[in-house]
Amino acid sequence: MRIATPIALALLVTGLFAALTEAGVTPTTKPGSAGQAAYLKECGACHFAFPSQLLPKRSWDKIMNSLDSHFGDSASLDEATKAEILAYLDKNSAETSSTKASKKLLASIGRNEVPIRITDTNYFKRKHDEVRPDVFKRKSISTAANCVACHPTAASGDFNEHKVRIPKN
Amino acid sequence: MMKALCVFACLCLAVVATSKQGFAAGLNAEMTGYVQGLESQAKSQDKGFKAFDAERGKKIFFETHPNAKNGPISCSTCHTPDLKKSGKTLVGKTIDPLAPSANRNRLTNAKETEKWLTRNFKQVYGREGTAKEKGDVLKFIAAQ
Repeated sequence: MRIATPIALALLVTGLFAALTEAGVTPTTKPGSAGQAAYLKECGACHFAFPSQLLPKRSWDKIMNSLDSHFGDSASLDEATKAEILAYLDKNSAETSSTKASKKLLASIGRNEVPIRITDTNYFKRKHDEVRPDVFKRKSISTAANCVACHPTAASGDFNEHKVRIPKN
Repeated sequence: MMKALCVFACLCLAVVATSKQGFAAGLNAEMTGYVQGLESQAKSQDKGFKAFDAERGKKIFFETHPNAKNGPISCSTCHTPDLKKSGKTLVGKTIDPLAPSANRNRLTNAKETEKWLTRNFKQVYGREGTAKEKGDVLKFIAAQ
């Protein structure tokens, strides 16, 4: 019994940790990483600054090299800022992350696919398969890309299922 | 020391010169330099150019253009017709007021100003703004 207790505790802690990562906690990159401030400022000016670990490098490359028509809108940046942000995204892309979320997301993308929307990946779809399409269309949500509408802690990389609050309208 | 004084004097002169042109809100030295740059560009591109004009700027701000994705769009679509109020980006994030009288951070940083003018002219007009257009719309915003 005396020996069993620490083992049980260790198992419990490991289990808790696994449960947490399983629930989709995507630790954000270390605050102050090179280029992070520029990323949050420039990309976050118009939309939620999505965790860089939720798309592969090839996706970030494609997105950042077509800013003149960014999903049909103009998001042009000067060359220096663009290069700084792209370097940050590449350095912190899904491939560089050890989280389950990143690994499963990568595994859900075909080798020749270059998704430019996180919401297009099978991983995202699987994780949200219980959410009806009309829920995403609610006024305060409007699009599945609006992470913070239902994940209040998304900005800190925390997508834990238990913290989800889906607005009623 | 002399050099610093000279720079200071030049900046003062620049501020005086610009306020004469009617950027009444009183731009800082950095923005004054930026506007002067636009002015000399405008002069070289358009022989008839005399000065920036807030009325022309207002027209640029409110002119609506077709947009394949978002439908008809103007600057006021996101910034709202009242520049003293907060606006919303096309994906719903809040935009702080554009009017310097309501938001003292506006028109204080040349790099930011140039970035947004470039990006938003492309968004609404589908092309970059000319120096004359940029100066006109800045003069309109500065007066708000």
